[in-house]
Amino acid sequence: MRDDFSSEWGYRAKWAYLLTIVGALLAPVFYVIYISFNELGFGARVYKFTFDWYRVVLGDTMLVGSLKWTVYLALAVVATTVPMGLFSAKLYKRTRHKVLMVTLMLAPLFVPADIMGSALLVYFKHLNRTFETIGEAIGADWMTAWFELGFLTALIGQIIYTLPYAFVVILITMSRYRPQQTEAARACGATAWQAFCQVEFPQIRAGVFSAAAFVVILSFNEAPRTALLKGGFDTFSNVLVSQMLNVGMSGESYAMAGIMSIVAMTAVGAILIYTMIRTERLDRRARAAAEPVMST
Amino acid sequence: MNAPSTSPTIAVEAVDLSKNYGSVAALRSVSFSIESGKYFVLLGPSGGGKTTLLRLIGGFIRPSGGRVLLHGHDVSDLPANLRPTSMVFQSYALFPHMSVVGNVAYGLKLRKLPKDEIASKVEGMLDLVGLAGYGMRMPHELSGGQQQRVQLARSLVLERDILLLDEPLASLDAKLRKDMCLELKHIQEKVGITFIHVTHNQEEAMAIADRIAIIANGRLVEEGSARDVYERPVKRFTAEFVGENNLIDGRVVADAGGRLKVDTGFAAIAVDKRGSAAAVGETVSISVRSERIHLLDPGAAAKDDIQVIPADYVEAVYLGLTTSHLVRLANGSEIIVRRLSNTESDAKFVSGQTVSISWRTENAQLHID
Repeated sequence: MRDDFSSEWGYRAKWAYLLTIVGALLAPVFYVIYISFNELGFGARVYKFTFDWYRVVLGDTMLVGSLKWTVYLALAVVATTVPMGLFSAKLYKRTRHKVLMVTLMLAPLFVPADIMGSALLVYFKHLNRTFETIGEAIGADWMTAWFELGFLTALIGQIIYTLPYAFVVILITMSRYRPQQTEAARACGATAWQAFCQVEFPQIRAGVFSAAAFVVILSFNEAPRTALLKGGFDTFSNVLVSQMLNVGMSGESYAMAGIMSIVAMTAVGAILIYTMIRTERLDRRARAAAEPVMST
Repeated sequence: MNAPSTSPTIAVEAVDLSKNYGSVAALRSVSFSIESGKYFVLLGPSGGGKTTLLRLIGGFIRPSGGRVLLHGHDVSDLPANLRPTSMVFQSYALFPHMSVVGNVAYGLKLRKLPKDEIASKVEGMLDLVGLAGYGMRMPHELSGGQQQRVQLARSLVLERDILLLDEPLASLDAKLRKDMCLELKHIQEKVGITFIHVTHNQEEAMAIADRIAIIANGRLVEEGSARDVYERPVKRFTAEFVGENNLIDGRVVADAGGRLKVDTGFAAIAVDKRGSAAAVGETVSISVRSERIHLLDPGAAAKDDIQVIPADYVEAVYLGLTTSHLVRLANGSEIIVRRLSNTESDAKFVSGQTVSISWRTENAQLHID
């Protein structure tokens, strides 16, 4: 935002600074994408454009399997985390203990990923042993292996990781919502569920969908928790990291990184553009509503 | 819509209604009843419990004690959507993602009425509130007054027996508020249902109310017709809150049938008892409206029905139609005398001059609490 008395050059310098920072941050990503389309790979003097590396990646059974596994995990995380985030945000709006609730909800963000992952690993192992012991004591075989490392444990780890983000994203959108509208709907005869579906949800939909997209991206980007809670060759990012650590960067690795980056940037870009357009539209409405009401 | 009833029936009854938020009592044992088809106003200072009372009637909050009866049925445990009430909120209550038609038709769609019927009812209601032709507009394209009309239409179209209005005019400018006030009254007369209107604005309350209940500190202070509440307030609080009243404290020194003599320390004032339980020796207050007091030359004599007391003139404040004259009594308390502005009489007295103030005995009101 410019004011009438600011220097033209100062304004340009601010933009130059901003673009430099963004450029510096994104340059390695674009470079990786650039390399991923070179038939001769990294370090070659000659650049020959090709989609071959992508074909190799998409033809690799293990890679495609890990991609599928990640998609299933992401969908399961969305299906559980987004409703939980929505419920938490609604609870937050009602509770009088807002600071306590925010602290509790955001607490998982302050624990490093590998520490959280290993803590959960130990916890699940003990939990598993406890249930097995109880099962043996009461003769209930079905109580064994509930928390064997697998899809469920990875899912729980991902939920703990993504819930704070989903909560915050939904809460931001929800902060614009006026609870009087729910009361107005109830006064018109709507049940609590009808009021939520027909009046509240349409107004917070953008936040809920943003949270869903964000959770998908986080699921694709996450490596340490799933590696500890499921295994190093199950999710796409774990396969990529394992491959880089074991055999170094190949054209295939660049293509995998390219896929991840393109998908993530497209999703984030789409969310940002949609959010900006929506924010602008809401601001315009708010400005119109805030104009002094004069006699007609 | 229900036709206005010929014999009065009770639409709303509050029985010992209380609401606590933790240790804070928002409403304390309030009881009253409202006749069907009346325009009832809950008037009082902010934070006094008016909106809490309205929300209890509407089913938006559950009472901590007592009961709400609508048309004789106990609805205390029913949520808002199951009560025969609808509500107009102060602001922000239109659904921003729906057009005017969408907003007004919302409740009818919930009832699954045929589309044609919904369209015709919505059209008729928009016509009633003066918004014909605005159906396709979105709420943000309307002025504040128009938005409140849409809220009104959305509530009235449901054809419920009781309409609750929570400070519906508070966000409008003075001129629009006055216009909407009259319009609300006319609409209420036309549809004949019970309106319960919350406001802290006395002028608004006086303009529209059949009956007014004064609510303060979580209690029902007093209830009566607009004229009674203004002219004959029973409680000292009502006298202080409604209009511009002058209060003089004193002790009853004599009781001569229907009239008491009150010693204020600087004058003895006669005041009609009007059924008050005040007895000799009791501390009381006397209120006299500023427009009922006359400013006289010093030494004017009291008569049987005219009370006269000496005062020092302080200043005049010109307010356009009226001028406020401030005088000080011998005990230091100040009295406001409001008269129609007149260049000659406004300049008659000067600051520091001794004057007399007088009022007809019947215009004073006695308060014991």
